[in-house]
Amino acid sequence: MPPAVSTPPAPRPGVPRPSALLLALALALCLAVPGLQAAGPGPGPGPGSPGVPGAPPPGLLRQAARAALHFLNFRAGSPSGLRVLAAVLRGRAAVDARRTCRVDLEFTAERYDPEVADGRLGRCSARVVFRHQKPRPAVNVTCTRFMETSRSRREDFLLYKRAKRLRAPLGATSIPNSHGWIDPSLRPIWDLAFLGSSYVLWERTTQTLHYYMAQLSSVNQWKTNEDAIDFDYMVLLHEFSTQEIIPCRIHLVWYPGKPLKVKYHCQELHTAQEGSGTEEGSAVAPTQPNNF
Amino acid sequence: MKPLLGTLCLLGILIPEGLGYDGSLAQPRREVVEETGSPWQSLDTYSYTRYHPMEEIYQWMIQISEKYAGVATQHFLGMTYETRPMYYLKISQPSDNPKKIIWMDCGIHAREWIAPAFCQWFVKEILQNYKDNPRIGRFLRNLDFYVLPVLNIDGYIYTWTTDRLWRKSRSSHNNGTCFGTDLNRNFNVSWCSIGASKNCQDITFCGSGPVSEPETKAVSSFVESKKESIVCFLTMHSYGQLILTPYGYTKNKSSNHEELIQVGQKAANALKKKHGTNYRVGSSADILYATSGSSRDWARDIGIPFSYTFELRDNGTYGFILPAAQIQATCEETMEAVLSVLDDVYEKYWNSDSAGKVIPATVVLGLLVSLVSIF
Repeated sequence: MPPAVSTPPAPRPGVPRPSALLLALALALCLAVPGLQAAGPGPGPGPGSPGVPGAPPPGLLRQAARAALHFLNFRAGSPSGLRVLAAVLRGRAAVDARRTCRVDLEFTAERYDPEVADGRLGRCSARVVFRHQKPRPAVNVTCTRFMETSRSRREDFLLYKRAKRLRAPLGATSIPNSHGWIDPSLRPIWDLAFLGSSYVLWERTTQTLHYYMAQLSSVNQWKTNEDAIDFDYMVLLHEFSTQEIIPCRIHLVWYPGKPLKVKYHCQELHTAQEGSGTEEGSAVAPTQPNNF
Repeated sequence: MKPLLGTLCLLGILIPEGLGYDGSLAQPRREVVEETGSPWQSLDTYSYTRYHPMEEIYQWMIQISEKYAGVATQHFLGMTYETRPMYYLKISQPSDNPKKIIWMDCGIHAREWIAPAFCQWFVKEILQNYKDNPRIGRFLRNLDFYVLPVLNIDGYIYTWTTDRLWRKSRSSHNNGTCFGTDLNRNFNVSWCSIGASKNCQDITFCGSGPVSEPETKAVSSFVESKKESIVCFLTMHSYGQLILTPYGYTKNKSSNHEELIQVGQKAANALKKKHGTNYRVGSSADILYATSGSSRDWARDIGIPFSYTFELRDNGTYGFILPAAQIQATCEETMEAVLSVLDDVYEKYWNSDSAGKVIPATVVLGLLVSLVSIF
């Protein structure tokens, strides 16, 4: 990977070919002729990377943005405040001798729940450090708020109250169902499931791997008799670059305003994968992850 | 193909444009009615804003070819591994002039339900509007649409009966110990070189050999047999909100890469205008990941100039399990993108209306040659 450089804007498409312009000049009858592209087979010649040589691969910035947002979502512990990537604005990357990759970037984020998404974007800046193809990237991230703190606290508390009254369907389930439907009364389950998954998604993101929560496949436990919500469940994660589906069991304990406690275990595939096993993430720890 | 194109364009210039479409007897527009629960009987009550199981899609195809008998016909393409018939719809206005072909397939990956939903929506839009809508009507003057609503039928059925997140086909391997080939890694283009697996348990298993799967063979043979006429090959997937150009198997670019990007970007802009959805445009190797054996790359390499993969909504919030409530908006915006591509393809090969438009160089040369030969 190249040393630190700034990323210029993406290359513009659609430049007429020089050979076509020559042709246009030669033939007096011609109007301006954009190149008639040969329909022959085979790839054209050219170097590998897109954009300007030295720029970080465009995918890397998005990877870093995702890792940063999963970490932020976990840390914030707020199911109403969940954010997802809108667009990468700019960034640069540096790699050291041990192939540790440090990414500095700015990006915009929007609210996770598309039904209430009002187009408002938060602006974030982050430093993300990937150890060579290893999980648990180190994240330092700040975002502007797209909602006042008091409002997100209020929404979290409303969600908490709904969760307390909720009798969750225990056992195997499909949320959403095959048609993408989530019963509105079960919405708190989905939001909390995604909140808990944020920890897993952050930990497992590397330079090349990134995950989405595809479906909640089982509710093992939903305890609301004490103050905190105690939620034990299984999700199916979708890893994008390999397209694989990874079942993970997650156990979270949540109370609005308090740090989120998460334990998880993912089934590894038959092919050798990074072991992630059972981890406990507690946001009582300082802002940096424990092992950095 | 190029000499033929040149001749076509020459004809277009020399013969006055008197072949207007017949605007009379516009077909009454039928609004889609939400089905009320009992199995639907007629096309009038078919809901394009719900996901349909394969039996209903088979029935829909028959009804489409019955209702639009002069223009839409159903054709047999081949058999799946589990011996189900694969049908495509050909939309073609009878005429004397030779047509070019637009190919669209959906559902090569079983779990990407929004794709077959779009193929059905697309057919409906063309057939309901070609008589009233000049933009669509003009396409049918020179273009035939070949639409394969579900390519991976066995896999699609499996996502309805057993595993909503299944991706591959349902072919059996290793003495029945593992199932399914990733059909979009099975085409004969740099087969299994990168971004695919030789392990039948893997989700990107490339098959026992290039074009080893009956579904791939059916599509390959057919498209190959028509390749001189096919100008546009569109394969619909989800999710990711991307318009992908060749290639996935190399970072090298196709000879018409810049043009493909330009057309793709214009399509993404048209899409965004509809509901504000952002799509990114680029080669698969650049903005997605490396893949080999994909249908899009194969189509490009046998000479089809405009070859795109569309990855539809969303960006990961619901992923493959896109809520049915989003079908309409997704289809509407995707329709704008596809129409934009078709506009550009049409302009490139047939537009001879106004000054300042593109005239292929071969046409100009042809004119010069004929002028020279007169003197």
